[in-house]
Amino acid sequence: VRAVIAEDSVLLREGVARLLEDSGIVVAAQSGNADDLLLHVRSYEPDVAIVDVRMPPTHTDEGARAARAIRERYPDVAVLVLSQVVEAEHALALFSDRPEGFGYLLKDRVLEIDDFIDAVRRVARGGTAMDPEVVAQLLGRRPGPLDDLTPREREVLSLMAEGLSNQGICRRLYLSPKTVETHVKSIFTKLRLAPAADDHRRVLAVLAFLKG
Amino acid sequence: VKALQIAVVPAALGLGVLAYQAQVDNIGSTTSARSLATLTYAWAFIGAGLVAWVRRKGHRLGPLMIVVGFAMLLRQFRYSFDAATFTTFYAFGDVAYALFTHAVLAYPTGRVTDRLERAYLVVAYTVAVVFPLAILVFYDGGTLRYFDPRPHESLLLVHGSPDVVLGLQQTYAVVGYGLVALAFIALIFRRLFRATPRARRILAPLLVAAIVAALRAPLDGISTLTVRPPDFVTNNLFWWQVVGLISVPLALLAGLLRARMARLTVAGLVVDLEDTPPQEIRDALARALDDPSLEVAFWLPERSEFVDAEGRAVTLPDGDPTRAVTRLEHDGHTLAALVHDPSLREEPKLVEAAGAAARLALENARLNAEVQAQLTQVRESRARIAVAADEERRRIERDLHDGLQQRLVAIALEARTAERRLGDVDPDVQAVLSTLAHEMQDAVQELRSLAAGIHPAILTQSGLAAALRALASRTPLPVAVDAPPSRFAPEVEAAAYFVVCEALANVVKHAHASKATICVSCSNGEVVVEMADDGIGGARADGSGLKGLSDRVEALSGHLTVEEGARGGTVVRAEIPVRGG
Repeated sequence: VRAVIAEDSVLLREGVARLLEDSGIVVAAQSGNADDLLLHVRSYEPDVAIVDVRMPPTHTDEGARAARAIRERYPDVAVLVLSQVVEAEHALALFSDRPEGFGYLLKDRVLEIDDFIDAVRRVARGGTAMDPEVVAQLLGRRPGPLDDLTPREREVLSLMAEGLSNQGICRRLYLSPKTVETHVKSIFTKLRLAPAADDHRRVLAVLAFLKG
Repeated sequence: VKALQIAVVPAALGLGVLAYQAQVDNIGSTTSARSLATLTYAWAFIGAGLVAWVRRKGHRLGPLMIVVGFAMLLRQFRYSFDAATFTTFYAFGDVAYALFTHAVLAYPTGRVTDRLERAYLVVAYTVAVVFPLAILVFYDGGTLRYFDPRPHESLLLVHGSPDVVLGLQQTYAVVGYGLVALAFIALIFRRLFRATPRARRILAPLLVAAIVAALRAPLDGISTLTVRPPDFVTNNLFWWQVVGLISVPLALLAGLLRARMARLTVAGLVVDLEDTPPQEIRDALARALDDPSLEVAFWLPERSEFVDAEGRAVTLPDGDPTRAVTRLEHDGHTLAALVHDPSLREEPKLVEAAGAAARLALENARLNAEVQAQLTQVRESRARIAVAADEERRRIERDLHDGLQQRLVAIALEARTAERRLGDVDPDVQAVLSTLAHEMQDAVQELRSLAAGIHPAILTQSGLAAALRALASRTPLPVAVDAPPSRFAPEVEAAAYFVVCEALANVVKHAHASKATICVSCSNGEVVVEMADDGIGGARADGSGLKGLSDRVEALSGHLTVEEGARGGTVVRAEIPVRGG
């Protein structure tokens, strides 16, 4: 997997780069602003671009805009957005109904090294990574039908919304694949969702449901 | 002077009787009504002139009007068949009309200062004397216009020629009565056009009367050139002229005494102003000075500038020819300035009197204006402080997120990396590093909620609607949000956001509500944010954290209300002017 990083804090950028390299992910280029990032994406054609939302000069949404630009102009390049704060509104606006190859994580998730690396790989492969905080916000928004779920089912639903595959859920919850499958089926029935053909569509369906 | 004034009355009456007699005796076609009419307007001039003379001492217009009246009476003696009387008064009779135009043009000061008007008067006097004299030189007993057909005798006769007399008479009718009168009317129109609105209003009655009186002359001139109009037309013209000639002296008198009347009004001003609110002093002064355009500016010594009654700074139109400024002083200190119609400059005493009468009230109004000005200043500085505070909050939030938080995450990441690289070599050190990373992760989270409390990043990033929806989704209560995606000024968004934030927190804590709604709308330059719940109600604007928010909203010239909802619960409503954003 090849990645480029855009993050204006050098210390953090170096840290993340080392982290990725240690896990066998090639860091093709690093930058501290959105313009350089777009340049790097064009010249290195990475699998994934890891982008800080707030970058110079205004420190507001340069990164978010760059992320949108990459998704439009280079559909093959996955984008993982890192943000100091995460808000469901912002996340859903960035996802714009296309969860393939897109991630939106709180910046300090990098400290959960294994989960973070997992998320980078997942997104690079065309999967999805939604921050648990966002998922929690979305879950809090739609009480009604979610009340019927068991606590375990809610956990599984959250992980599905985060973009994890059944396998990933197994690892995270230390459950057998069969148990996870049962939970997933039960959740889809209770929420009256049509079974999804693959992981991508499953995330889409779950997020669409949570969005309400 | 007094003796002269007293003598005018019997002189006017006696001369009037004689003039009446001169007409009745000498013009076969006249009626007693027509003869009396000529006396009436002459007497009107003398009477009005006398009143003006007595009331406005030193003003030249009164005596001038008396002269006009006497000249009009004396003019009637030209109809006499006595050779000397006829010759004298035929020669100088028409000077009465020149004097008449002189009196009108001399209004209101008593002097004719305009160069064009002076030139006109020279021409008018000359024409009024030269033509009759010339006619007398050639007149040997033929028919004279307006005269009884019986022959008169000119003492100035040099060479009798009825043709020359006829030609001179016709030319005189066209030039003297026609052109000179038209020029007079044109001069009057010129005055009306040049006058300021107030002066025009004062001048109008006199000038209209003068035009009515003078209009017969050009019509006469025209009829000389064409056929003689039927009798009923000339008759009507005569009476028309009589009405005009009677109105002119009355209008002159009214105009001259108007200033005196105005001073009486000003005297009443003191009483009026006792219970006039400061904002209405201007109206009272405008009424007293008969100038609707009047403006009052108050002097604020500490700011060294003039302000209006609401405390807004005003610039005096010094040097503007269409406005005049009178500064009102008291004990050597400037108190206020009246900005008024330039025509009031001719009545400085009146303006001064009004200023003096209104002094106490103006002093009060000045203090009021001062307070208003200070209030405005305070309001503005309060808004500036609020905006600055918001900016500061945003800066702190940015510093926390982009500085401290980044650094903490980076350091924690170092610890994590070290922990991993260390492997199982030293479990104790590994445990320390792990704890370190965890602690820092917690610190980052704390920092995040701290920063969000100072100023939520999403507000800057995505605006009020997004921030409110995010807030709603974090609230353990169903909250419906109806908000347009529009962006507003940062301080407006922040104030609106924190009002909802606090109100929502109160609902969760105290209201026992099952749901809440947030509604944002923007109309008439105001953002209206309304938060309603279905709880037990009882919240008050001055209670809890809402007081501080009320201050924050009011600092932006907004308004915060807390009311019982129509169906129970509480409605918190903030209205904030949009400003630039």
